[in-house]
Amino acid sequence: MAEEENQFEEFDQIDFLRDRHVRFFQRTLQVLPERYASLETTRLTIIFFALSGLDVLDALDVIEKNIMIEWIYSLQVLPTEDQSNLSRCGFRGSSHIGIPYSTKGPGVLHPYDSGHVAMTYTGLCSLLILGDDLSRVNKQACLAGLKALQLEDGSFYAVPEGSENDIRFIYCAASICYMLDDWSGIDIQKAIEYIRGSLSYDNGFGQGAGRESHGGWTYCAIASLCLMGRLEEALSQRELDRIRRWCIMRQQTGFHGRPNKPVDTCYSFWVGATLELLDVFQYTNFEKNRSFILSTQDRLVGGFAKWPDSHPDALHAYLGLCGLSLIGEPSLRKVHPALNITQRAFQHLQHLQQTWRGSAGSCSRQH
Amino acid sequence: MSLQETHASQSMFLLDTHCQRKEGILDEEALQVTQQLLSSNPDFATLWNYRREILMHLETVKEKDEVQKIYEAELAFLESCLKLNPKSYGSWHHRCWVSARLPRPDWSRELSLCDRCLSLDDRNFHCWDYRRMVVKVSGVPVAQELGFTDRLIGSNFSNYSSWHYRSTLLPLLHPESPESPSPSHEPPQPSPSHSPQTQSHRVCEEQLLKEYELVQNAFFTDPNDQSAWFYYRWLLGRAEREEMISCVYVSRDEERVAVAFSRPVNAQSVSLLLVLDGQPQKVEWKSVHPRFKHSPVCICDLPPGTISDITNEHNLTVHWTEKYTHRDCALYTGRTESWCRDSATDQELFRSELSVEKTSVLQSELQSCNQLLELEPLNKWCLLTIVLLMRALDPLGYEKETLAHFQTLKEVDPMRSAYYSDLCSKFIIENTVLKMEYAEVRVFSITDKNLTTLCHLDQLLLVTHINLSSNQLQQLPPQFAMLQCLEVLEVDNNRIENLEGVYHLPKLEEVLLKNNKISALADLQPLASCPKLRRLDLRGNPVTQAANIESELTALLPSVTDLLL
Repeated sequence: MAEEENQFEEFDQIDFLRDRHVRFFQRTLQVLPERYASLETTRLTIIFFALSGLDVLDALDVIEKNIMIEWIYSLQVLPTEDQSNLSRCGFRGSSHIGIPYSTKGPGVLHPYDSGHVAMTYTGLCSLLILGDDLSRVNKQACLAGLKALQLEDGSFYAVPEGSENDIRFIYCAASICYMLDDWSGIDIQKAIEYIRGSLSYDNGFGQGAGRESHGGWTYCAIASLCLMGRLEEALSQRELDRIRRWCIMRQQTGFHGRPNKPVDTCYSFWVGATLELLDVFQYTNFEKNRSFILSTQDRLVGGFAKWPDSHPDALHAYLGLCGLSLIGEPSLRKVHPALNITQRAFQHLQHLQQTWRGSAGSCSRQH
Repeated sequence: MSLQETHASQSMFLLDTHCQRKEGILDEEALQVTQQLLSSNPDFATLWNYRREILMHLETVKEKDEVQKIYEAELAFLESCLKLNPKSYGSWHHRCWVSARLPRPDWSRELSLCDRCLSLDDRNFHCWDYRRMVVKVSGVPVAQELGFTDRLIGSNFSNYSSWHYRSTLLPLLHPESPESPSPSHEPPQPSPSHSPQTQSHRVCEEQLLKEYELVQNAFFTDPNDQSAWFYYRWLLGRAEREEMISCVYVSRDEERVAVAFSRPVNAQSVSLLLVLDGQPQKVEWKSVHPRFKHSPVCICDLPPGTISDITNEHNLTVHWTEKYTHRDCALYTGRTESWCRDSATDQELFRSELSVEKTSVLQSELQSCNQLLELEPLNKWCLLTIVLLMRALDPLGYEKETLAHFQTLKEVDPMRSAYYSDLCSKFIIENTVLKMEYAEVRVFSITDKNLTTLCHLDQLLLVTHINLSSNQLQQLPPQFAMLQCLEVLEVDNNRIENLEGVYHLPKLEEVLLKNNKISALADLQPLASCPKLRRLDLRGNPVTQAANIESELTALLPSVTDLLL
């Protein structure tokens, strides 16, 4: 199938409808239509998209931060009195299991309640975005819960009772350790081996060994290595150059995630941020990228969709904004390409970590 | 939360409370309820786990035949889930689990499920991953799977996922034989871990030739589909070269030893042993710049007086103990410096993108690609592959054609023209290194070539004179400090604002920086670390307009006697 390079018209002056997007995220935080019910178990990730999206838009003032912070803390799976559930701690996606609402410990033991690595990751990010100081996060419990999720081959489960395991959850784990400034939750060497083993013949990364390369998994691989501070140790210059080449070739107008697939707004971030981390984002074509992202903008309800003339959703709305931020869209805050939060939220994190280190004395950071 | 979900969680709460008291009695109900819910929301992971618990419990209380029936019903249920949502992680994961527990699995049924699923969406990676698992567990011969990819590719060359699958199968069936030129002579190292790029995944030559034919059919049929081109590139590629010390350099004046490696190392942790005249030396290895810790060049200083007497001959050996390799260097009487190295040419450094196969094979591939180029002069994949082949065969001989092809590439794929410019700069630098070596001189010169970045600086360890005038360089980064032998630096007419890498260069005497963008005294700080600097040309830089600049510079750089402002 030939490349569809002329698939989309050239848009000259598309306006970026900031206010619509603010409203879109506000609505996301209030009520969602019924067809979103299946996302209930992962609600915290949707909250993260909305909060971080508002942050990128510099519009966090439209929400009540304290209420949100309380709600997020209510999702923390805390240790029980006898600490018997440490390996199950972290954050849950929502209240769907039916645990009674509580923002403080001790935790309640329930056979089906546990943290989920992606929820712990987005939970911590969300708290940072809201300006919280993470003082109510039980860091040791989170890290114990994280450690319990890593397999022999270096990859991670999402939940302690088992699930699929792959590179996505390594990224979540690395982000968690980076934010908590404590790498005891992850065996870095094994994680690096799994990542290296996921490098495919065409120099993209698959979800695991032998699996097809994909823009999302390539982001997880490179961002994880950057967060661990091991990018140049884990990959040779030659390999990095080849990976750059695979990634650069993903741009058609916007970006696609795999060869011979249609372009999709979210890859403007997944691949764009990867290229930024590899120092070659400036070699992409900003204009075509921008035109495509804006062609998926919903002029009525706000947000962005994966393709033009499709329904917008929280994920694509957020990542579309991040994609625009990478190319320097004015009025958007800059995004930290590895951690996927704004530079502003990242600076808040750095400040917090300084105070932690000041009081702790010793430093366990990987850099 | 929707009404459905509320019902679910309430039921579960009730159910497991019950289960705690009366095991097994409410399992049927639990299976029914969870089945209803999972049909509409297969991503409710906890419910799948709950089902697995129930099923495992049933295994312990039911007869084997009943268990078989239960699991087959489970597979049927899963099939309906997958029809609705073929990309649900939860469903595929559960199917994997069920298949593994079925007393009498029917693997051909699973394979046919995969076939049906792939016929609807041949890029569904969940399905491909599942198929790989089935193949592995059921012991389907690799040759049979290879035949499967033959059929898929034969009916549609553009099937990227099939080519990918083939890349994983081929090395299993036709591995590179142990006798073929293999870079590593030692037993396999435990790390770094394998990827398809590394040696053990390569394919034997006979099979490679057959694959070339298959791939050429593909890209001649549809030159614009990238699937075949990526696969072709992999076929032509080769393993990483062996790890070794590429150069040892020693200088009497500074009593310094510089070591260059085939890959970056961490000076603090690399296991090196320096032996001088048969005696191990206790030295501290460091990187050339504090901000450049993972570097292909390390240096160490010998205790004063060790080698300073020019009437003495010395023999040095540097051992890279963890790699079981070393390099010797003899420092003769009357000589102030010495080195021992493999040149870039010897190492086939810039050609090692491609396989070590016979030149005739590569020539023939180049011919085929050139034929295609005649038919499709604007095809970027073809152009890129031709450039690759030419650099493998004769980088200097094909230099003119390579530059012309890059020009064409920028025209046919303008979206990536900045990337091609960068790639082209890299090749120009590589060719300049090769020319320098052929001429056996230590002078490196690239002027007026629009260079924006520098690379391969580790190849310039021995260079005494460098001329980068009239380019687009903005900085001389920390990596530049690898030029330990540099005496003269000419970088006029660029955009330099950062001189970080001009750092502790012990032999540097002249720095020519006319018409650049040095704007503050602080930018020149690194130069103060170069003890022999005597001539500095700063004309045409904003910094010359600063007040008292001359006296400030004299204070900062007292050794400079020849200052041009």
